[in-house]
Amino acid sequence: MPHVHNLQLPINTAQPRIMHIDLNSCFAMVEQQARPLLRGRPVGITNRNTEYTCVVAASYEAKRLDVKVGMNFHDARLLAPDIVLVESDPPKYHHVYKLLVKIMRSYSPHITMKSIDEGIIDFNGTDLVNQRPLSEIGMEIKRRLQEQAGSWMTCNIGIAPNRFLAKTAAGLNKPNGLDVIDHANLRRIFSKLDLTDLSGIAERNQARLNAVGIYTPLEFLDAPADLLHRHVFKSICGQDWYQRLRGWEVDDLEYDTKTIGRQFVMDELQPTDETVRARLAYLCETTAVKLRYKSLAARGIFVYVRYASGDYWYERRMFKSNFFTNTEVLRRAMLLFNHRPVDSPVRELGVSCYALTQSVQNQVSLLEEVNREVWLTEAVDTINAAFGEFTITFATSLSAKGTVKQKIPFGSTRYFDLLCNRA
Amino acid sequence: MDNVTKIEKDVNIVAYYFHNRGPRLRCFPKAMEWNGKRINFTETGMVHPTKKGQRAVHVFDMSDGNSDYRLEFDAQALSWTLVSIADTGFNHAPRTQFATAH
Repeated sequence: MPHVHNLQLPINTAQPRIMHIDLNSCFAMVEQQARPLLRGRPVGITNRNTEYTCVVAASYEAKRLDVKVGMNFHDARLLAPDIVLVESDPPKYHHVYKLLVKIMRSYSPHITMKSIDEGIIDFNGTDLVNQRPLSEIGMEIKRRLQEQAGSWMTCNIGIAPNRFLAKTAAGLNKPNGLDVIDHANLRRIFSKLDLTDLSGIAERNQARLNAVGIYTPLEFLDAPADLLHRHVFKSICGQDWYQRLRGWEVDDLEYDTKTIGRQFVMDELQPTDETVRARLAYLCETTAVKLRYKSLAARGIFVYVRYASGDYWYERRMFKSNFFTNTEVLRRAMLLFNHRPVDSPVRELGVSCYALTQSVQNQVSLLEEVNREVWLTEAVDTINAAFGEFTITFATSLSAKGTVKQKIPFGSTRYFDLLCNRA
Repeated sequence: MDNVTKIEKDVNIVAYYFHNRGPRLRCFPKAMEWNGKRINFTETGMVHPTKKGQRAVHVFDMSDGNSDYRLEFDAQALSWTLVSIADTGFNHAPRTQFATAH
C-alpha cells in the first residue's frame, strides 16, 4: 500500500461482483404480506402497544406521509391519521431472513448479513457457476423472494465493485429497484446525489467536508487522499473514504463482540423500587443468557439509570474473576445499582457486560460452590430450552417476564436465533 | 393501535388446500368453523414456523377478505388454535372512520 500522502488510485475498473440486497421497509412489508388487509395502508411497526411507543419501521405508504422511523406514536398519528400500528413479531421476520439467506447462499458461499433486512453476496470467485450477468441474477432473486415469501415482498438490489457502492446503488430507486454502479457510470450517478445520500455521511461528516469546500459527492470523489486524511477525517478513515469512493474494497471486515447488554424504558411513570429491581433482575438474566449463547464470559459490568428529571447516572466496574451465570451478573449489577441516587423516578435502565473473553464454563473449578452454580445454570438452561424460555427464572424478575419483551435487534443478527427460540 | 382481538381457542379446520410451494407439496387451511360459523379463507398471507419450548408450531396468517386470522398448528398435538382476529370492522370503512376504530 503506498504511503497515504502519495496515494493515487484510479477508479476501479473491475467488473462489479458485489451485490447488496435490501428488503424494502422490511418489518412493515412482512406484516403487509402476512395480513393482506394492511396492504396499501400506512403501517407502522412498534415494539410495544402503549401510548409512549415509537415507530421502529414504517411502510412506504406511511413514509410517503412523512412518518419516519423513531417517530413517536402521537406524531405518527398526526401525520397519518389512519396509520395502523402493529406490534413487532420477530419470528415472522426471522422466517423471511432465513429465506433470504437461503436464496443468497445458493449463488455464493461468501455472503454477509449486515442486519436483519440487508445482506451482501460476494460473487468474486464464482464466475464458473454464475456465468449470467449479475443484473439477471438480481431479477431472479427478486422473483424467488416473491415465490417463497409472498407476492408483496420486494427488495432493492445494488451491484457494484465494492460494498459501499453496492449499498449506494441499492438506495437509488426505492422501492424494488435494481441498479448497477461501475466505473463507466460512477461520476454520472454521483452527480445526481447529495453528500448525505452516501452511506456513512450524515450531518457531522457533511459539516467536516463542507469545512474544506467539499459540497457534492463528485467533489468528494475528486478530493486528494491527503486532504481527506489530514484535514477532513484526521485519521485513517480519510484514506478509506478515498478508496471506497473509487470502488476499492475497504469494508470487508468483521468486528468482534465488545459488549453484551440489555436496556429497558420503564413501563410505569412512577415505578416503585421493587418494580425497578424486578426489571433489572430480568435484564441481568437475559444478558447472562446472551453471554452463554455466545460462549462468552465477562469481567466488567456497567449499569446506567436515566431518571424522569432527565438526569443520568452510571457506574462501571472491572472484577478479578470472569462471570457468566445469571446469579453472578445480577449480584454484580446490584452491587453497582445500590450506589445510585434515588431522587427521581427511574425512566430507563440498562446493564451491559464488557471485557469479554471465551467462556470457561466447561472448566471444572477447584471451588465446589462455583461448580454448583455452573451446574445449576446448565440445568436451568436445559429446562428452559425444553419448555420455553423463563420457565425457571428469578422470583424477583417474575413480574417483568411478561412486560420486558425481547425485541428486534437492529443492526445485528447475532442473537436472532436466540430471540426466536424465546418467542 | 392495531385492533387485534385475542381469541386463543381451539378450532376445527374443515377444508384444506394443497400447493406446490418450493420443493414439496404443502398443505394450507381453506375453511374453519368457529363460533358456529364457517369461515372460508381467500388468501394465505404468510406461513412461518416458531417454537414453544421444543414444540414446533406453524403459524398461518390467513384472510377471508374481511378480517385477518392468525392460526397456529401444533405439530406435536396436531391441533389448530385460532390465536387472534385482526382488522375486523374497518375493512370497508372510509379511511377517516378507520382511524377512529382503534
